[in-house]
Amino acid sequence: MKIATIKTPDKVTIPLQQHAGEVCNPVVGVGDIVSVGQLIGDGMSMIHSSVSGEVTAVSELPHPAGKDVLSVVIKTHDGEKKDFKPADLSASKMSRIIRDSGIVEPNGLPTVHKKVGIDTIIINGTNTGDLSSNAAIMLDHPSEIVYGLKALMKSVGAKKATIVIELDSEALRVMRAETVPDRNIKIVATPAYYPAGTENTLAKKFARKKVPRGSTPEDRGVIVSSIGAMKALYDAVHDGIPMITKTVTVAGAVRSPGNVRVELGTSIKDVIDKCGGCSGTPVKLVMDGAISGAAQYSDEVPVIKTTTGILVQTESDVNREPPAPCISCAWCVDECPVGLMPHLLYGYADSAQFDKCAELYIGDCVECGMCAYVCPSKLPLVQIIRYGKHGVAEMEREIVEVEA
Amino acid sequence: MTYTISPLPHAKGRESVKSVMWGTVAALIPITIAAIYLFGLPAIKIIIATVVAAVVAEIVIYKAASQPITIDDGNAVLVGLMLALLMPPSVSENLWVPIIGAVFAIAVAKYIFGGTGTLVFHPALIGFAFLLAAWPTLMVATTPNLSSFSDILLETGAGRLVEASPVLVLLGGAIVLYKRYVDRRVAISATLLLVLLVLISGKGGQLPYILTGGYFLGLIFLAADPITSPVTKKGRLIYGVMLAVLILIQLHFGAYFTGMCFAVLMMNVFSPLIDRSTIPKPIGGK
Repeated sequence: MKIATIKTPDKVTIPLQQHAGEVCNPVVGVGDIVSVGQLIGDGMSMIHSSVSGEVTAVSELPHPAGKDVLSVVIKTHDGEKKDFKPADLSASKMSRIIRDSGIVEPNGLPTVHKKVGIDTIIINGTNTGDLSSNAAIMLDHPSEIVYGLKALMKSVGAKKATIVIELDSEALRVMRAETVPDRNIKIVATPAYYPAGTENTLAKKFARKKVPRGSTPEDRGVIVSSIGAMKALYDAVHDGIPMITKTVTVAGAVRSPGNVRVELGTSIKDVIDKCGGCSGTPVKLVMDGAISGAAQYSDEVPVIKTTTGILVQTESDVNREPPAPCISCAWCVDECPVGLMPHLLYGYADSAQFDKCAELYIGDCVECGMCAYVCPSKLPLVQIIRYGKHGVAEMEREIVEVEA
Repeated sequence: MTYTISPLPHAKGRESVKSVMWGTVAALIPITIAAIYLFGLPAIKIIIATVVAAVVAEIVIYKAASQPITIDDGNAVLVGLMLALLMPPSVSENLWVPIIGAVFAIAVAKYIFGGTGTLVFHPALIGFAFLLAAWPTLMVATTPNLSSFSDILLETGAGRLVEASPVLVLLGGAIVLYKRYVDRRVAISATLLLVLLVLISGKGGQLPYILTGGYFLGLIFLAADPITSPVTKKGRLIYGVMLAVLILIQLHFGAYFTGMCFAVLMMNVFSPLIDRSTIPKPIGGK
């Protein structure tokens, strides 16, 4: 499996919010000439230009999350050579580099670890459904991943690390060979299951640390990170390149599907065109995986740091079946990775009984989408559970106001 | 270019309510054929009359109530077929009996309780219990006793259609268990525990009476029916265990097939209570 690279697009749109948190402040204006790796957004997680060119607009533009976000549009200069000077690394501390490189996990959290007393790092190398970028990166860059992992271990003082890979993945053999000399890096093979990316379940399964509700694995001394972040960390520490590219899986109705490394800010239209274009009429564009991803309004939406895949669906892939009544089959209960009762949450949220939703721990839902996927009645479980979460938040705010 | 927007997931699951219901019907086809083979014309008459009555009753009632008619989801056919299989072949002389049973099952146990999904009692069992209470003399059936191995394949002493072949009911049961059309935890825990209880309670002599098609239908298809059994993981095990104990008590008084049916109906009552008291804590919860 080789990761393809595509020609730099004529224009990139870089949103100033590519992580969970506040929108970054733009540090460039219209007309400015920027070069690859130059800082363009300052905030909790830095944002850099992925191309060299001229800033043509700084305005609110479509974002993969479905809203408009302040973005920097850069027209790339033709034929300009990417000249990137590695930063001076010796003096700076690792966490500083991680922050300044703007490395963000696929779940949107910046890879910044201020917590002390970390002893284990878990790297999620599993792939789910139509996504295969993790395996592709491991096959193409095994030594870089180990380098990045060692850098992270050193910076947080972790003694052990575990890379979780599916049993049937080709990457298993490659990564095992790569980590033979390191006794403190363990490769764990796991049967394919979904959703593998839930931090707390990974911590429980592979570090034997039970994470109490409402806290993160870091509170128990475990960092859960991703393959993509390790590669980005290598680029940052070894070459001084901040996070300006992302490997995404292009799948579905495209002529040449596969994993491609694209500059951040490339529109999904450009990515699909470079992958041979659509085969058949596209009716739905999904980002970040078929089960838990988000459908996109427009093909102008850019690839951002959290993007893991682009899926093009034709009419036959789209589910238009009307929902039937719940038959209490309990498949959603069996599938829920956090042990909730999705069909009860659905019923209570649908009838606006938000107090009941709160009693049934609606806030713990990770919105993996597995309940709605297996549901034989085709109920829009996640949509209604999100509505329920919103209702619970509203209810709690009212209670605070009344008491105040 | 406009694109379709919808909430996640964007992948289609394989199963639907239709596939669950029709799949269960398909799993009952082998035993239906065995029943027709063993009992001949009376079995055909009973099966057709009951299924047609259930379907017609559903169409008429839902039409009268101006509610959407959902015959194509297969639930009415499934209820009719299950009820037909619970009948003794002699009832074919009074075909109005299973027809009334099917209408009662759909009208009372299904429609009045809110239709598919909100049922409390299994409609086929309600239909059966109603007929048993109303016309006990017409519902009399011999109790099969497994006296030799060949009875597992074809039970010539069968008193009801479903008892024609225990192994074919088990075959259908294995299919629905594998496909998760019925609840595995309920079916497996109840069946295994019942056999174990019968053995250790010194009632080992009764084992041949419970290894019948009727029991397998009851434990796998009726008790583990998704709609009427609990949904929590712990609750489903409790349900299976309580069911086995209840059946054992009925066995003590010599109520074989009917005892099992009433044990399942009784457990249906407890299902919401079991659910409510076994709500699980999410991962990491104390």
